[in-house]
Amino acid sequence: MAPNEVLLAVRDLEVSYGHINALSGVSLEVRQGEIVVLIGANGAGKSTLLAAILGIHVPRSGSVTFRGKLISGQPADRNVRAGICLVPEGRGVFAAMSVLDNLLLGAHHNMRGVQRNLERVYQWFPILQQRRHQVARTLSGGERQMLAIARALMSSPELILVDEPSLGLAPIVVNDIFQILVRLNQEGYSILLSEQNAYKSLKCAHRGYVLETGKVTLSGTAQELLADPGVRAAYIGA
Amino acid sequence: MQVFVAQVINGLSLGSIYVLLVTGFNLLLLVAMIIHFAYPQVVLFSMYIAWLVLRWTGNSVALAVAASVAASVAINLASAPLFQKIMKKREEVDINSTMVVSMGIGMIITDVLSHGFNKGLPISFPERFVGGAALFRLGLISLLSGQVLSLAVGVLAVSGIFLLLYKTREGRAFRAIAEDPAGARLVGIPLMSTGLQSYALSGILGGLIAVLLALMLGYASPGLGEQVAHKVLAVSIIAGLGNLPGGLVVGLALGVLESLIQGYLPGSWSNAVAFIVLLVVMLARPRGLFGIKL
Amino acid sequence: MSLPLYYFLTVTAINVLMSWALYLPYRVAHLHFLTVANMAISGYLGGWLVQNLGFSFWAALPIGLAAGGLLGWLLSLFIGDAPTFTVVIVGFTFIYITRTVIENTAAVGGTLGMFGLPLVAATPALHRWALLALLYALVLLVGFWIYRFDHSRLGRAASAVFVDKDLATSFGVDIKKLGRLLQVFSSTVAGGCGVIYGFLYRSFHLDFFTFHLVGLFMTIIFVGGYATMWGTVVAAPLLYGLTLLFPPEIASWRIVIYGVILVAVLVLKPEGFITRRLVLNLERLLSSRRKKNFTHKESV
Repeated sequence: MAPNEVLLAVRDLEVSYGHINALSGVSLEVRQGEIVVLIGANGAGKSTLLAAILGIHVPRSGSVTFRGKLISGQPADRNVRAGICLVPEGRGVFAAMSVLDNLLLGAHHNMRGVQRNLERVYQWFPILQQRRHQVARTLSGGERQMLAIARALMSSPELILVDEPSLGLAPIVVNDIFQILVRLNQEGYSILLSEQNAYKSLKCAHRGYVLETGKVTLSGTAQELLADPGVRAAYIGA
Repeated sequence: MQVFVAQVINGLSLGSIYVLLVTGFNLLLLVAMIIHFAYPQVVLFSMYIAWLVLRWTGNSVALAVAASVAASVAINLASAPLFQKIMKKREEVDINSTMVVSMGIGMIITDVLSHGFNKGLPISFPERFVGGAALFRLGLISLLSGQVLSLAVGVLAVSGIFLLLYKTREGRAFRAIAEDPAGARLVGIPLMSTGLQSYALSGILGGLIAVLLALMLGYASPGLGEQVAHKVLAVSIIAGLGNLPGGLVVGLALGVLESLIQGYLPGSWSNAVAFIVLLVVMLARPRGLFGIKL
Repeated sequence: MSLPLYYFLTVTAINVLMSWALYLPYRVAHLHFLTVANMAISGYLGGWLVQNLGFSFWAALPIGLAAGGLLGWLLSLFIGDAPTFTVVIVGFTFIYITRTVIENTAAVGGTLGMFGLPLVAATPALHRWALLALLYALVLLVGFWIYRFDHSRLGRAASAVFVDKDLATSFGVDIKKLGRLLQVFSSTVAGGCGVIYGFLYRSFHLDFFTFHLVGLFMTIIFVGGYATMWGTVVAAPLLYGLTLLFPPEIASWRIVIYGVILVAVLVLKPEGFITRRLVLNLERLLSSRRKKNFTHKESV
């Protein structure tokens, strides 16, 4: 796929839980090689959107296409095999399992390249190699976030969905995590990232969307959004 | 003293059966996320199937074992869609509905066995098949081949399960679901089909247990299912729901305790012992002795 | 009255009462199987008092009721607010322990049971009418109480507890007290049923109080509809009557038939046949008709 071709396209996606409309007609795009940020407050629907893209929620209407193929309604494990993965909010590691087991779980759908992926991941995150037999519960917050990202990489994805990576982490650690994401992007991974920390995430991103109560209210390049007075007032507190 | 040792040996082999049953039950609880009240009845049904196959094939042990395993797996896989349909939340054990449905299934199996097989009379397994040959005798203490076999298979099976859980890809998926079903889903582990795998696995285990029970007891009757079912439930609750190592300890302990009581006290009091212990534990430590691992 | 009809009416009444006894605690999601143990304990106690100590049936009955209530109350101190699973297991456990104790106690007949209990009235015919009248008086009384409960503030609170225990607590519902109240009531009713059941057949036997009974009552409640009291009223006579109509070869498979019906209903119609919505609509229909009659009379 050539750079700047549309990798992921979401059109008019509607997702509801019973009578609650979590997403009311969301459209966005992620192009090959981009970092796209989803900004929004708590409850705006960011996590729901990412989960719906992965295939956890079946949308009421609208579509999700990946590499030109329709994937909405497909179960999550098929989409993982197709090249999308999710780094869930709150790290989402299995605390009672070892670091190595967590990583191997990431490769659950793609065991053929597992050794190679494991070596690559250890190169990226040497500390994980050091702690590979330790139970995940014993890792620090930042290490757990790294484990979650590493686990996502184990499935050889093309598109990485990251849900609120900075949540609960100290500012210094947050910087490290964002640096990792930028480096991953330079290596060729496309990233769709949801964040409450608008400033830091927009600084690393190419484009962004603002999500408010289930709808996209603003979109543009990262610079445009950083400069937008509404965004500054609501999400950056400049 | 001799009575004591003899009963302890009896108890260990009985206990290993309990351990296997609890392990199968816990697997279904943790991975398929159901409470299967009737798991021992499925095992009992396989015992009957094994008995039938033995009669039809002139005592072919290999075929009987194969048939027993196939029967358990078949029933489990057939009941899986029923359970999955009534589970309201895919990421949590829906205790109420799965419990009632499995009780219904248990009713059906027990009564089918009461009417459809041997006119409801107990069935007995051929002498040759039953492990009644003593491998070792010292006064009252005898080590029967059936007991040794069931203990040995029990140990092998439990080790096999632990190996599977900790060293294989499927086992990792099982453990992930057992720890955090919602998280497992987010990593792309398919809950429903992995759940099906656990139905199959506990089915295989169930078939093996059926063969062991036949070896040990030499007979089977329709009421056996319910009796054992409730004791297995008792073991899993005393240990703590979903607690595999706890189930190991409590299963063996209960087997030994029951055997000792049977050896020293007349009447059928040994049956009640599991429930008295259960009652005490439930009222004093509702989460079980070793903690719930749900 | 023909004997088959007599037994149909009386056993159905027992089934209705026992299923109601199970229905009530299930309003807060407790499957109170202890009731079957209550039946056995109070039944055997009553039978023993009458046969060995010369009590009259009419004295043994209140004792049976009290025994049921007492045991229910004692256990409810522990399981009044326990999770469903715990209540089920405690119930099963008691059934087992009770059966084992009875089995091994020669004084109450052990595995042979108790036979030849005296009549409760002067003649066999009076005996039958007395029990029939007693049973249906109880059905009306218990039914009335349950109806009042369901339509009271407490009854609505119970519905809230069924759906979400924690939410209900945050509304100020005292779960433990409510659970205990319902359990004590149901155990009392069950105790009474146990005594009467034995005198219907003038004997007590372990085979009366088995897990088949648990299965039967569960089927009645879940097939009839566990959300209202009327499901039991409809399902009990139907399910029992159904198997009486079958030829004996099929009738002996009745537990299998019940099991299949139970599983089918759970999968296809989880709330049972008489749903809450149905009852609400019927009640609304009846009350609007009454209002129409009232206004009509006024205008005339």
